[in-house]
Amino acid sequence: MAEIKPKPKASEQPKKVTIDIGDGVAIPSKEDVGLFTAWRVAFFGAIGIIVFLALFKPDPYLKIMRFVPDGILVTFQVTVESILLALVLGLFTGLGRVSKNRFINGIASLYVEVIRGIPLLVQLFYIYFALGRIVKLPPITSAVFAMAICYGAYMGEIFRAGITSIPPGQTEAARSLGMTSSQSMYHVILPQAFKTILPPVGNEFVALLKDSSLVSILAVSDLLRRGREFASETFTYFETYTTVALVYLIITLFLSKLISIMEERIND
Amino acid sequence: MIKEDRRKMVEMQGVYKFFGTLKALNNVSLDIYDGEKVVIVGPSGSGKSTLLRSINKLEEIDAGSIIVDGFEINDPATNINKVREEVGMVFQQFNVFPHKSVLENLTLAQIVVRKRSKAEALEIARKLLKKVGILDKADNKPHKLSGGQQQRVAIARALAMQPKLMLFDEPTSALDPEMIGEVLDVMVTLAKEGMTMIVVTHEMGFAREVADRVIFMDEGRILETGTPEHFFSNPQHERTKQFMSQIL
Ligand SMILES: Nc1ncnc2c1ncn2[C@@H]1O[C@H](COP(=O)(O)OP(=O)(O)OP(=O)(O)O)[C@@H](O)[C@H]1O
Ligand SMILES: [Mg+2]
Repeated sequence: MAEIKPKPKASEQPKKVTIDIGDGVAIPSKEDVGLFTAWRVAFFGAIGIIVFLALFKPDPYLKIMRFVPDGILVTFQVTVESILLALVLGLFTGLGRVSKNRFINGIASLYVEVIRGIPLLVQLFYIYFALGRIVKLPPITSAVFAMAICYGAYMGEIFRAGITSIPPGQTEAARSLGMTSSQSMYHVILPQAFKTILPPVGNEFVALLKDSSLVSILAVSDLLRRGREFASETFTYFETYTTVALVYLIITLFLSKLISIMEERIND
Repeated sequence: MIKEDRRKMVEMQGVYKFFGTLKALNNVSLDIYDGEKVVIVGPSGSGKSTLLRSINKLEEIDAGSIIVDGFEINDPATNINKVREEVGMVFQQFNVFPHKSVLENLTLAQIVVRKRSKAEALEIARKLLKKVGILDKADNKPHKLSGGQQQRVAIARALAMQPKLMLFDEPTSALDPEMIGEVLDVMVTLAKEGMTMIVVTHEMGFAREVADRVIFMDEGRILETGTPEHFFSNPQHERTKQFMSQIL
């Protein structure tokens, strides 16, 4: 009855894990030739149209383009601040979701479930006005908190997936050397999970940038709101929203390209 | 051969471990003395890994007692991390840290756990890399190394903590045949230097060369214990005979 089962060879390493969450934009990659071309057409096409409109129809397009850049800065500010805060929230949520402590795990899971079940726009309103009852914050700060609380839940899932993608042998090796569970998380697991986490985080960044247009409802003068302000004064709705849409498109396409380059670098 | 007045490094008494209804360890009692080298053999699923992993509490037992280096490790008052500092472990799948260089693999726990200075940790690391014959790979990432070299990194990483006891769980079974020798050589040297070692392996040549005792496990029990010679020449149980004939 004694039998020796064949042992897996070292060369049969566990498969590389990728986390795909499709609410950003399609990240172009070299292998994906069709998409790569689509990216070029969209990106350079959008730039071409903008330049064309500015040159040949400066009224109102050049005026619009002079008016909205303030809003672009605000859009970036909201996006960057929200994503940083969401990353911190996501890290703790992810750690909570893999925690063996039932209480911590429960809190983290509840947070994720509740947030994922409420539309972002409703959350924005709710957190914005709930915060407004407790403290008087500038609209932009409230908006950042609201976005971060929402995206923190999604980030939490990304962190959780990243952490659980690391083979348990890594934790065992770290623990067998006498490291505490937090030491092994910090020195061994998270640095490795980082690689898996980065692409979906980049994706979330782009998604958040797009969703940040929702804060225009909360008295935050982002790109969309600046467009609305201009349009309602000049009644050039079509021209303004054409420009706003093109600007969003150029930004998100540019960022997605940047992220795919970053990914390639990291995978080397 | 084993003097009873020698200090016991590991004392297991009536240990049980269940996975669901499966008895992975079934009333195991085992003493390992200071400086002793014990080889554990047995069919797949007989509980060898579980036994080894229960000694540094990677596996929590359901009943019985395990005293390691004087500490009852299942006593909630025992700081298991302190015990683990003294117990090195080498895994079948190496489990080197892929994001760290070879040198950093060896210094990490020294710095974080043993609280050594970086300079001191580096000195110890280099000495050990030289000893296991891969000093020239010190600055490489592990994936640039062969399996045999990675396993030697893993051994050196455990030794860098200067443990009192080393546990090996089939350290050569994931290796290509031509690399088994280089890893066994390191282990033989370690044994000759007097390290206390518990080794799960089917490399009977290694057992014959260094083992004071061989333990045969079957279905979660220790079925037979003896010198390597005993196992080669006259194993008692039918199961042991069958098993030996298969691995030799
Ligand atoms: N985490 C686990 N969950 C459930 N069952 C487990 C677990 N770990 C081990 N077992 C079971 O416990 C028994 C003993 O396993 P163990 O790994 O100790 O055997 P082993 O002697 O090391 O075998 P091998 O030679 O295959 O490594 C086996 O039946 C195994 O399937
Ligand atoms: Mg095993």
